[in-house]
Amino acid sequence: MKMSLLKPFSKLPGLNTANILLVESEEQFQQNLADTLVEETAVTVNVRLAKSLPLPMENEESRPRIDLVVFIINLTSELSFRSAEASLKYLDPGYFLGKVCFMVTNARNASVPTERLDAVRKLAASLHCPLLFAEDQTPDGVTNAAERLLTILKVAAGLVPMATALYLSNLTRCTLPPDIDQPSFD
Amino acid sequence: MATKLNLSAPSDSDLSSLADQTASSRSINRSLRVAEKERRKNEAEDPFVLALKYFSDVEAGTPLFGNDEFEKNLVLVERLAYSKGLSPEAISIMLEFAMSLRMGNAPCVRVLKCLIPTTVVPQGAVVRAVVWLGVGKIPINTQILFIKWVLTVFDLIDAKDQLRAVYGFIFSFVTDENLCPFICHLLYLLTRKESVRVFRVRKLLELQSKLGRQPFLLHLLSLYKVFCPELVTLSIPSRMRSGFRNYNSPWKSALIAVQKRNGSQVASSTSLPFTIKDKTNPRKRKHCHLELPVLSSLVNKQAQTELSSSRKVVPLVQLHSLTQLLENMHRIELPAQMGSLLGSSLALQYLDCVQDESALLRLNFWLGYALHEEFLFCGDGGGSQTSEEALQFLDKLLSSQHFLQESFSSSEAFLYKFLSVWDGSLLRPQILSLLSNIPVVPSSQIGRLLFEPLMQLFFTSSLFFKCGLMECLSNMLLKWLTWHSVYALEDDLDISLNSHTSINMTLSGFKDSVMELVHFVGRLASVGLQLEGCHSLLLSFILDFYEAVCDTFLKYGLPLVVMPPPGVFYPALFSLDPVSVDRLAFIMYRYKVNLTSAKTQEKVTEQAFHISRQTFREFNQYLVVMVNCLWNSKMFNPGMGVQLGEELLLKSNVPQYWTSFDLIHHPAFMSYAVDFHQQCWPGRKDMDFNSIKHSKPWSWYLEYLYSQGYDGLKQFVPTP
Repeated sequence: MKMSLLKPFSKLPGLNTANILLVESEEQFQQNLADTLVEETAVTVNVRLAKSLPLPMENEESRPRIDLVVFIINLTSELSFRSAEASLKYLDPGYFLGKVCFMVTNARNASVPTERLDAVRKLAASLHCPLLFAEDQTPDGVTNAAERLLTILKVAAGLVPMATALYLSNLTRCTLPPDIDQPSFD
Repeated sequence: MATKLNLSAPSDSDLSSLADQTASSRSINRSLRVAEKERRKNEAEDPFVLALKYFSDVEAGTPLFGNDEFEKNLVLVERLAYSKGLSPEAISIMLEFAMSLRMGNAPCVRVLKCLIPTTVVPQGAVVRAVVWLGVGKIPINTQILFIKWVLTVFDLIDAKDQLRAVYGFIFSFVTDENLCPFICHLLYLLTRKESVRVFRVRKLLELQSKLGRQPFLLHLLSLYKVFCPELVTLSIPSRMRSGFRNYNSPWKSALIAVQKRNGSQVASSTSLPFTIKDKTNPRKRKHCHLELPVLSSLVNKQAQTELSSSRKVVPLVQLHSLTQLLENMHRIELPAQMGSLLGSSLALQYLDCVQDESALLRLNFWLGYALHEEFLFCGDGGGSQTSEEALQFLDKLLSSQHFLQESFSSSEAFLYKFLSVWDGSLLRPQILSLLSNIPVVPSSQIGRLLFEPLMQLFFTSSLFFKCGLMECLSNMLLKWLTWHSVYALEDDLDISLNSHTSINMTLSGFKDSVMELVHFVGRLASVGLQLEGCHSLLLSFILDFYEAVCDTFLKYGLPLVVMPPPGVFYPALFSLDPVSVDRLAFIMYRYKVNLTSAKTQEKVTEQAFHISRQTFREFNQYLVVMVNCLWNSKMFNPGMGVQLGEELLLKSNVPQYWTSFDLIHHPAFMSYAVDFHQQCWPGRKDMDFNSIKHSKPWSWYLEYLYSQGYDGLKQFVPTP
């Protein structure tokens, strides 16, 4: 079956509408997040969920233009990271001008190897994408994560005057991991 | 159990002294003796007492295999240990039995694992066990197990003076590669100024060259350096990885369980040898789960009287007023649990004025550990209960920092780490408050440590986070400036930023950091206002920041003037609410006062600082724009900051476009103009704003505006 490459500008935008695609291989956090995202009243927010990319061809016609693609990575699972990494190549390069962001959960978990967090940081930095951290265990954390995604989504969907996705991503993109353990203070 | 189990109760010496007593008291004593006999008889039937007796009397070389009696007794002890804990006497007996290897290594490990104290661990038992270490028969793993046990129960050992007396003996084990990390930790807890000797420093340095820069060696050396800087010339990184690992010892959970179960019992027991009255839930550092230990003293009353007068120490817990504190300043015994200092204002006062850095070092060590292990990487991802504990803990930490008016270096190191994984909402008020307390960050580091994570958070978060961060950065600036004005030395060249840490900064270094901060906030503010559509709440927080910036010279004596960027100035000038315009006018007025006084000082004293012409140019530019725009109705005049083509302006069809932002037509003040017009000419039907422009009504109108509380405008253009 032929798979489609997701393109940012192949379709027309809807009036006062923003569309977000949440990609998570484990499908744990995305539903929770989607429920909170659609509660937004100022604009119509459509949330599409996917386990991984590419998206199937069959819904191609009915699928709206996607304004922001969010990769949710659970740091406790290596698979989650690998899956997101593999999905990236099914995005049109145009998306990397501010319409992709990474959201990481469980970053404070003691069992997470630091190398994995570093790898995610490196990935996000090399693609010039923002890297957001989320506390998915608490209701406050979920609300806050949804709020932050909406902030980016509104800009990416062109709903904020005088701001574009590229402009915002220039301010928020991930920078290379700081090595705080060995600072050269002396 | 503790009172019942008293094997060596009223000793012979007590009884013999009774013989001298008078006859009248003899009968009382006899009845006491009868009671004592009765009690002993009861005890003799207690299987646990018999078990202990077995372990204290068993002979070396007794076979282990098939020894049912041993098995039965040990099971008995283990059961009691895990349910109620062991009394001090039982600990002594069992430890002695284990370390002497009377029945080999296997029971030794088993016994060590069940040594859960109910109340305290007698110091003598530990010292004896340490001596057994030196005999050299004990396998290395068992030795490590024993040291780990001592570290775990360290705060429960009833006194430390004898342990300190064998400091040198304990130190000798440092050469053993396997024991070294644990011995270093134990030494760290025992070290005092007098324990630091040249040969010990040399030994540690020698070890370091052999083992590499191990964190445990560095930590011990850093403590030595604090006590005797002249002996340790090694440069020690000011920020170290947490040095001593968290040993997931087998006693941890058992000890918590036993102590929780005994909580009430311990509190009600008054026969304890040391002050424990408030200590309803005695936990130790490693199990604190972010709970502050209660300030308690481990200096045994008896031990205290034994001490020679020259080394007499007073535990902090026995002091109740500042006067007492001052009288005993030179001989204060710090509590074993440094975290308890955070809860006591007297202890904080002591920390604040005492010169030796070891207290602060130990507190930082404890704090860094607690913040990092128990909060930052809490393991389970943070249930609601842990966050409640974290909230109280951080609040306590904050109030201590406010009391001391400076932050702890460990909380600073923690913040940098936490910011890089923060979601922007978890414990936001506490984290932002902690952040606003951090001392001046060198300008070479400030971008990487602070600005990068904060910028990402700022631009992806809600308006309220943006406002919160602005407030935090304002407070940070105010604190930095206050430190500068307090700690700046007379010669105005060098400032020591923090009385406790040895960060010294040159004035230019400090200026660079402040300038970096102001420029960073300028960038955040400009773009933030743009993204949020010049929201007046955000604008208000931004103007708060510039109210501090405009007064750096006069209020804080820092020779630095930084103007706001156009992205802040123009949104404030054209803001829809009059308060913002008024505050901008006030800020411009303060800039003027600061710049004028800087200029006059520059003329008077030759070597005064130099303010760049660019700053004056920027100020004058803003001043011209403001006066022309608000007072002179000359908006869009050539040479002003905002320029638009003549044709374009005509095309807009706005009549008299040059007046559109004067104090009458400015959208923020229009309603006042209407109100004034109605009051001035009540009869008039049609509104003619131009009539306010005439000189008499104009001065009345300004008076009217000033009377509405717009003092900023009044100060900005003083009435002639």
